[in-house]
Amino acid sequence: MKRSNHVGSRLFIGLVFLFLYLPIFLLIIFSFNAGDSSAVWKGFSLDWYAALFQNRLIMESLYTTLLVSLLATAIATAAGTFAAIGLYSLSKRRRDALLVVNDIPMMNADIVTGVSLCLFFVAFFQGWGAFAQWFNGVQDVVELPVRLTLGFGTMLLAHIAFNIPYVILNVAPKLRQMDKNLVDAAQDLGCTWMQAFWKVILPEIKPGIVSGALIAFTMSIDDFVISYFTAGSSTSTLAMRIYSMTKKRITPEVNAVSTLLFLSVLALLVLNNVREVRQQRRAERQEIREPSFFERLSMRFSQPALRWARRGAAAALACGFIVAVALLTGATYSQPVVNVCSWGEYIDEDLITQFEDQTGIRVNYQTAESNEALYSLLKSGGADYDVIVPSDYMISQLIEEGMLEELDYSQIPNFELIDPRFRGLPYDPENKYTVPYSWGTLGLIYNANMVDEEPDSWGALYDSQYAGSVLLINNSRDALGAALLHLGYSVNTTDEAQIREAFELIAGASRRGVFQGKVMDQVFQKMEGGNAAIATYYAGDYLSMLDNQADGVDLRYVIPEEGANWFVDAMCVLKGAPHYDNALAWINFIASTDANLANMDYIWYASPNTQALEEYPAYYEELYGEELDPELYEIMAAPPEVLERCEMYLALPPATRALYNSLWIELGI
Amino acid sequence: MSKELIRLRDCVMSYGDEVVLDHINLYINDKEFLTLLGPSGCGKTTTLRIIGGFLSPTAGDVFFDGVRMNDIPPHKRAVNTVFQRYALFPHLNVFENVAFGLRIPKADRDGRKVKLPEREIHQRVMEMLEVVNLKGFEKRPVSALSGGQQQRVAIARALVNRPKVLLLDEPLGALDMRLRKDMQIELKRIQQEMEITFIYVTHDQEEALAMSDTVVVMDGGRIQQIGTPEDIYNEPKNAFVADFIGESNIIDGIMRADGVVEIFNRRFQCLDKGFEKDEPVDVVIRPEDVDIVDEAAGQLRGTVTAVTFKGMQYDTIVDFYGFKWLIQTTDYCPVDSRIGIKIDPDGIHVMKKSQYSGMFGDYSSYSEEYEELDVAEPEDGEEDGSREGGYEE
Repeated sequence: MKRSNHVGSRLFIGLVFLFLYLPIFLLIIFSFNAGDSSAVWKGFSLDWYAALFQNRLIMESLYTTLLVSLLATAIATAAGTFAAIGLYSLSKRRRDALLVVNDIPMMNADIVTGVSLCLFFVAFFQGWGAFAQWFNGVQDVVELPVRLTLGFGTMLLAHIAFNIPYVILNVAPKLRQMDKNLVDAAQDLGCTWMQAFWKVILPEIKPGIVSGALIAFTMSIDDFVISYFTAGSSTSTLAMRIYSMTKKRITPEVNAVSTLLFLSVLALLVLNNVREVRQQRRAERQEIREPSFFERLSMRFSQPALRWARRGAAAALACGFIVAVALLTGATYSQPVVNVCSWGEYIDEDLITQFEDQTGIRVNYQTAESNEALYSLLKSGGADYDVIVPSDYMISQLIEEGMLEELDYSQIPNFELIDPRFRGLPYDPENKYTVPYSWGTLGLIYNANMVDEEPDSWGALYDSQYAGSVLLINNSRDALGAALLHLGYSVNTTDEAQIREAFELIAGASRRGVFQGKVMDQVFQKMEGGNAAIATYYAGDYLSMLDNQADGVDLRYVIPEEGANWFVDAMCVLKGAPHYDNALAWINFIASTDANLANMDYIWYASPNTQALEEYPAYYEELYGEELDPELYEIMAAPPEVLERCEMYLALPPATRALYNSLWIELGI
Repeated sequence: MSKELIRLRDCVMSYGDEVVLDHINLYINDKEFLTLLGPSGCGKTTTLRIIGGFLSPTAGDVFFDGVRMNDIPPHKRAVNTVFQRYALFPHLNVFENVAFGLRIPKADRDGRKVKLPEREIHQRVMEMLEVVNLKGFEKRPVSALSGGQQQRVAIARALVNRPKVLLLDEPLGALDMRLRKDMQIELKRIQQEMEITFIYVTHDQEEALAMSDTVVVMDGGRIQQIGTPEDIYNEPKNAFVADFIGESNIIDGIMRADGVVEIFNRRFQCLDKGFEKDEPVDVVIRPEDVDIVDEAAGQLRGTVTAVTFKGMQYDTIVDFYGFKWLIQTTDYCPVDSRIGIKIDPDGIHVMKKSQYSGMFGDYSSYSEEYEELDVAEPEDGEEDGSREGGYEE
């Protein structure tokens, strides 16, 4: 009995560790995959690492990550150490209370910390703006900047803020262990408090400070959520960059960068643990430490020389930091920039480099999750993008709310290349605010091997025979839109009864267990792998799925007979954009035929550029040496007669939007 | 004892409602060995910390050489301290611990910061290590030393700075009995050799009596008595002092006339004068001042209730009319025997009634008291120390 227990517990531990580490091993292994799949092994290669180091966006974000982590660690370590010492000069009751307060930010959800810091900064900037305006008005000696925005500085402050508790947590036990009389003794022997700090407290609590700093550094490098909310529109950390690279599917390049991140954090933790173990052993044996290499080195120098050497080292370090910060901020401030916010994997990144080379304008390229996420980000004031690429209905909402700047089309000659079909659309009837970026349809995607008869109606989404294998799109507008179309209503209806009827259709199917889940980006993995039979998604993404479908999966795309939604994403400039002219230059560049061809090929969404639409099949043939399947091209760029059957979303009145929201929340799943 | 060096005038220390020191007035002479003696929480450590500059009195003044020092921080006072648990710097070896104070640049007469030359530091540290018998230990890490050796390092570290006053906060508290006795002699020798003032805090009355020129007995934040060890022992001012210093039987009495005191309705000859007629008083009789005689010849008669052999003498507890006395004699009297006692006039000490009257002096619970003393004492100082618990002055 006992013996079997023993085996059982070993097995259990083995399973736990397998569960913890197997995914990471897989990730590491596939970072060396020669193919571009994260599931099929095609041989060993370091190509993805090479690609990684040549990717400017990744290298830049790595640099940002290291800089913010180092600076935040240095500052938080100093601040946290003194804070801990301060805590220990309080009465025990107050100290314990404050230590609990110190624990809260560490246990607090990152998202709460991130959002609250973001809101705090924005509120401060508003207050500052008012103050600066007044101040600049009453004097003209100093000109204060009126408009402050989220950026490297705010992210640094955020990192410092969340790092400090970790430093305190590590330093506090060392202070508790320290004989309090030591400080008294040092002062008694002639030290000022500061001298006592350097000569006695610091050597005593140094192990705590070092491990605090290491943990702070690790937390900083690791952080995604807090950075995401405080980095603003011009800064990205490595974690943020990786996240934006995983929008559709995870390429081994993501594996490679994640592997490097994992290994460096692992190295730091190992370093810290080894240090602690050594200290414990030393303490147990009460032995005096062998002088380290640096200490032996320093013994060779006379005291004054050593002091100068130390000062020199400190000065060099400080200079290094200043230069690094200057480089970073200088790069941001002296070079012309444009801040672009688009969607994940929605551009051929070579275009960014091309644009920068041509114009000397630096592009800070960031991505948002959805139209709604972008909207709330803009509303919170936490972003100062120049160019955004929202969808049609969101554009009309933004125009209605006066959040967009009119465009100076004289600076966008390439606007002439946009097909008249995509100008003056309902969301911007006079075409004063937008230049279309791409367009497409939202249809049914199904796996022909998993359905009995090929569906040509939205009704398939609610059909009990497909129970458990339908993916509902996780977006209230699209999900309810399909249901409205199926019932024969307009996608833009404001009739509450119709909307509720559409909702009931979905809710009923949900109760019958038709839906496997609500998905957005996960749709790729599920459909490609044959884990679901039917989904609603965009034509361009269907094509990209087609490229990656597993064996035995036969994905098809159909515009159901009831019609479908067709959409346009268009570039707009935000009101008060700080780099208006650069924004127009960017828009003009993207509107060009070459850029449209490149994008079309990369993202598989149709271009609004007449020439690009015409030339793409030839472009494809030249590039890949094979003919573009005309049927596929029709799916990508729906012909006019199909578009006829499709309806574009219009902005809904607030009451209807609220209804959508509440229904969507009610649905759950 | 020559010139006055330190004076505390009306020093009060309170934390909120809690009064730790209640109007302390005290002066300390140059080259004096002065001991602050009292039980836990009596205010002795607080007094020491005020002198050391680690605490500022809530009210009252501290003078060094006639100069008010209330707000002078510790590092600017010509005072050094030996801390209760030595407070040696764990990251430094013996030599560097002792050299610590010498390495801090000090302002010279013109106010410029000067560093001592390395050669002088070396010489002074080695001299000091010799004084405390630690030659040859200079390279050792302090954590590798025994308690007694650490104690010596702590003393050397303080004395190497040539302070005018050395403060010692229960320096022998952590040592075992034998080492303690040795260190007492050692400390006294060092004090005489260095010719400086020692202010010594302890709860151990034997230690205080053995080493001090002057003993200050404290309780409840007040000074109960200041005097030479002989004065304190022979002429305790109140029941507290009488009980705290040595063993005492403290009995209620009435002063019938100069030189005549009445105990248990019997009149005894004594040497005390100046009390009012029929004034109620406390009478202290030291256990060794009582002679046991035949029952018939005794001034008082009682029954032996307990006998303990103590080597030098027997501790005999005798019941007189329900009040139990401790008598120390070389004569053995068996339990339950009836005896008489005689007390010479100089064995009787009469004290005015005080707040401590009736609290001490009855030996009904003698043996338990012994045990309690053993358990209770080492905690002293903890309480004093934890209250401020800070790093700032």
